[in-house]
Amino acid sequence: MLNAVMEEAVQVDGLVKRFGPVTAVDGISFAVKRGEIFGILGPNGAGKTTTLEIIEGLQKPDQGKVTVLGMDILAKPAQVKARIGVQLQSSAYHDYLSLKEILALFGSFYPQRLDPNDLLEQVGLEDRADSRVNQLSGGQKQRFTVAASLVNSPELVILDEPTTGLDPQARRNLWELVRSIHGRGVTVVLTTHYMEEAAELCDRLAIMDRGRLVAVDAPGKLVSQLQATYTVKLVVASPLTDAQLALLNGDGEVVHLTEKNSYLLRLRNTPKALGAMLDELARSDISLDHLEVTPVTLEDVFLELTGNELRD
Amino acid sequence: MLALTIANVKMLARNRQAAFWALFFPLLLVVVFGLIDVRGVGSGSLYVVDQADTAESQRLTESLAAVEILELESGPYSEAEARRRVDEGDLDYLVVIPRGFAQAEGESPAAVTLMYQSKNAERNQLVDGVVRSQVAEAREGLTQAPLSQLVISEVVQVPDVDYFDHVLMGLIGLGVMANSIISIAVRVSTYRNQAILKRLLVTPLPIWKYFFGEVAAHLAVAAVQVAIIMLVGVFVFGANIHGNIAWIFLIALLGSLVFLNIGFILSAWANSPAAASGMGNAIALPMMFFAGAFFSTASLPWVLPYAAQALPLTPMLDALREVAIDSGQLWDVWPQLGILGLWTLFTAAIAGRVFKFG
Repeated sequence: MLNAVMEEAVQVDGLVKRFGPVTAVDGISFAVKRGEIFGILGPNGAGKTTTLEIIEGLQKPDQGKVTVLGMDILAKPAQVKARIGVQLQSSAYHDYLSLKEILALFGSFYPQRLDPNDLLEQVGLEDRADSRVNQLSGGQKQRFTVAASLVNSPELVILDEPTTGLDPQARRNLWELVRSIHGRGVTVVLTTHYMEEAAELCDRLAIMDRGRLVAVDAPGKLVSQLQATYTVKLVVASPLTDAQLALLNGDGEVVHLTEKNSYLLRLRNTPKALGAMLDELARSDISLDHLEVTPVTLEDVFLELTGNELRD
Repeated sequence: MLALTIANVKMLARNRQAAFWALFFPLLLVVVFGLIDVRGVGSGSLYVVDQADTAESQRLTESLAAVEILELESGPYSEAEARRRVDEGDLDYLVVIPRGFAQAEGESPAAVTLMYQSKNAERNQLVDGVVRSQVAEAREGLTQAPLSQLVISEVVQVPDVDYFDHVLMGLIGLGVMANSIISIAVRVSTYRNQAILKRLLVTPLPIWKYFFGEVAAHLAVAAVQVAIIMLVGVFVFGANIHGNIAWIFLIALLGSLVFLNIGFILSAWANSPAAASGMGNAIALPMMFFAGAFFSTASLPWVLPYAAQALPLTPMLDALREVAIDSGQLWDVWPQLGILGLWTLFTAAIAGRVFKFG
């Protein structure tokens, strides 16, 4: 029993959080296993940050229970905080201290702490030790906030949208950093609204929409659940009839997009179905503006599960 | 906690602009008040004890009453009473005309006594000269005695105090008040806006340690402010501080505590650092005038002089002046310290109630 409990870095049961008339988190439950990178994926306003803030002890839930590293966050907030590291979504750091001084200051709040120079080296900022935060680039700033979340050598690190607003190169650097933290046995929980990030980085993924969890699984399994391997996007000059769609799609399924005369077809059994569809297109008098064939991604999973597109 | 305090002091010192203005603003006023000649002569009160009671002595009294810088008090006081009044500073000048004043020609007259305190040397010089010439005039033709024997000046030595000494303590109060309120209000509201407070909340740091670190750092800054204002006041502009310097620091820091609490309260109400700064000024500037940092508030109309007594800056300035000017000890100012203590508790309770992290 004890072992079973200790396998979970985070256990969330029936969590509810309301802000006035708005229910930000609507009865969610999930568990994060020790040593994994766990992602929470969802659009802005899905309730990701609120969920994290409850786990971090920043907000009190209206209902439900949260256990972090085997401890109830409401009963033992200080003990939990001493053993986790947190990067907040939009937190800044002191203007008039150097990076090294900020890390030393935050380290002084914990019973155990890492050397600021070592931390800066871990995130590739060792040559900026005496700089101020406002002298860093966006990517460097994000890496520094990750370093600040590691000052107490935590067992669990919680990163809230660590790559939002970063350019692709800086984003990839941050992924590397998260992997290296994970490689040292640290459990990582992160939120993102980027599909490719979730797919690339996370061992398991919770998909969140409007305060609810719609799925929790490994990214690959979520994709394979769709039983489709390719998605075809068609944009045509005039609306297709149901009969036309049925011919094109074989035994797949059709999703209408919000744009005018635009259709998503999910094909099983490709490439055979793809060939059949292209034949059908050539035979018919459908006037085609655009045709795009892509492998099924998390994007399609999200669309399937929530009926919404993730892009905001 | 020490680490937090040291980090805070570093940040305050490195915020060059804020540090500069914290010191420069009161110093600027020290210079302004030091350069303006506020040591004007003004008029003094006079009482005449006329033991001779002759036509000559009455004429002398009348002529002294007519001197522009002297205001004749009506009394009546005995000589002993009048002397005590001079000793205690209630009466500026006492003239005693002795019985033998109306001696006939040739006889040696008894000398007139002029008694005053040593402060206000310029006016003393004027009054001394006026009294001597009036006495000489009154006795003209009656005696050949040299002028110097006609009037004996008795000077009560008191510490040298002038208006600038009074104002210097006002400037200490002003500097500590303005910086404590505004610096805390702006800093905390900046921290809240940038979510630095939130970031601290996800560490195991107990909240009281955070407040302690802020308060300790600001008290250190206030102590430096007080030291610099006193040094410039004394060594550049020749102010005199008579009391125990340690008490001055202690009173200033107790006052600073009240103003830091007010700063925390304002930071809870302000939505932005700029608003916090504006609110801080809106509280500090009127309080500076109403608490009598520079001018007496006795001339304020209606209930305002009493309202001024209720402001926290008033007991702080009273206590500072009692110590610095009248060489008071800490136990002499216990009522003022008590009021400041109550203000500290009261503002701390409100700050604790309204303070917000997010």
